Amino acid sequence: MLRTHCPASRLGINLLHLTPASLSVSQMPVAEGKSVQQTVELLTRKLEMLGAEKQGTFCVDCETYHTAASTLGSQGQTGKLMYVMHNSEYPLSCFALFENGPCLIADTNFDVLMVKLKGFFQSAKASKIETRGTRYQYCDFLVKVGTVTMGPSARGISVEVEYGPCVVASDCWNLLLEFLQSFLGSHTPGAPTVFGNRHDTVYGPADTMVQYMELFNKIRKQQQVPVAGIR
Amino acid sequence: MADVLSVGVNLEAFSQAINAIQALRSSVSRVFDCLKDGMRNKETLEGREKAFIAQFQDNLHSVNRDLNELERLSNLVGKPSENHPLHNSGLLSLDPVQDKTPLYSQLLQAYKWSNKLQYHAGLASGLLNQQSLKRSANQMGVSAKRRPKAQPTTLVLPPQYVDDVISRIDRMFPEMSIHLSRPNGTSAMLLVTLGKVLKVIVVMRSLFIDRTIVKGFSENVYTEDGKLDIWSKSNYQVFQKVTDHATTALLHYQLPQMPDVVVRSFMTWLRSYIKLFQAPCQRCGKFLQDGLPPTWRDFRTLEAFHDTCRQ
Repeated sequence: MLRTHCPASRLGINLLHLTPASLSVSQMPVAEGKSVQQTVELLTRKLEMLGAEKQGTFCVDCETYHTAASTLGSQGQTGKLMYVMHNSEYPLSCFALFENGPCLIADTNFDVLMVKLKGFFQSAKASKIETRGTRYQYCDFLVKVGTVTMGPSARGISVEVEYGPCVVASDCWNLLLEFLQSFLGSHTPGAPTVFGNRHDTVYGPADTMVQYMELFNKIRKQQQVPVAGIR
Repeated sequence: MADVLSVGVNLEAFSQAINAIQALRSSVSRVFDCLKDGMRNKETLEGREKAFIAQFQDNLHSVNRDLNELERLSNLVGKPSENHPLHNSGLLSLDPVQDKTPLYSQLLQAYKWSNKLQYHAGLASGLLNQQSLKRSANQMGVSAKRRPKAQPTTLVLPPQYVDDVISRIDRMFPEMSIHLSRPNGTSAMLLVTLGKVLKVIVVMRSLFIDRTIVKGFSENVYTEDGKLDIWSKSNYQVFQKVTDHATTALLHYQLPQMPDVVVRSFMTWLRSYIKLFQAPCQRCGKFLQDGLPPTWRDFRTLEAFHDTCRQ
């Protein structure tokens, strides 16, 4: 066999940990022969057995914009991609980020402004990707298990874990890892990059959005791998 | 059933006793009638005396007989209310419908319970008196009163001295910043910020710590009008737990003659929370137990333990 992945295994579980503490993204294969929906159910059942309480729903979406060709310099400069994101945890805000670049936090009116800036930034076709799911509370932990969808199809699962009391991501990574192991078993992620390179800084909403952006990009790239028999 | 029968017997005895009392009263009144009438007219003085004495004797005999009868009956009637340890409430035990109104058994239990409570409270007050938690020197009674000059009460320390002690502690621990304010007269309030982990509000009375509240680094510690919020607790369970432990520490560290040492010990202990999220439990080796990190710090060794793992 050419690929080592079966189709189902391409559905990644992606782990995030979030504000005002920290966040982590990684991937693990879903058990063979299981659909995204079944895996989400498995996860939520484990959480409920742990004693977590349901607390409504959440949604994070992301849209990609290209720099318009007319504004590019003649020196063969490549256009940067800009991502405009929303998070139901911050309903009045809109996040605009470049890969490896700055993150802008604006009011939700920013969406209207993007329409006006059509000459500089053009929306990429069918690029909208989002994750929706249930929010769980367990002690001081906030867990959000969501299904990542692009257009009509489910692409993967996102798991976000937030530990509210701690504001420095690297401080509570071991603690988070232990918590993740309690319901993900051995499929726990490595420490996300946000933890390492920003030692001792206070975690903010932008750090969460960067992790979601990286997660979405990863899932998009997976889709591009030519695979037969996509579910 | 036996209860009902005995009640019936008692009732009969009662009515007989009442009759006996009536008989006794009439025989007694006959005695007095006889005395009142005196000696009736008879031919001879001797005859009169004889008749009077005989009548008087008869009357006294009948009084004696009635009295004996009443005594016999009163034994039959019994004294239920006085025989019972619960006095009149003991009559509740005569209630034939025990199942519907189990008042009597409940009453007995309550009685036993209150007896036990009294006994245990007595023991507890004895023990507590040996280990007083009163922390100030002026409450130590006679010995403090005897030497007022040598041991001034630590409650009247000049604010300047308090400031000095606090600023020395502030300089001692670089990762801990202490902000002192006096919003309500001479009593100081401290806002201690420990790294990027937590904030502690400490309410002082002179150099005694009266109250502490631990909150998260990201939580608001001020009220809407900009004063330190000394009443509301943290939104996070972990800091509520740490607040409880800090209050325990206040009672643990006590040395009424050297209040500055107490404050310094408390702050040293508090500083060990800098690793609140980084230190695993020294007993079970884990980070989490019931969703909480090790929130307890040993008073001597400052090692981290879960609340249930400490000894």
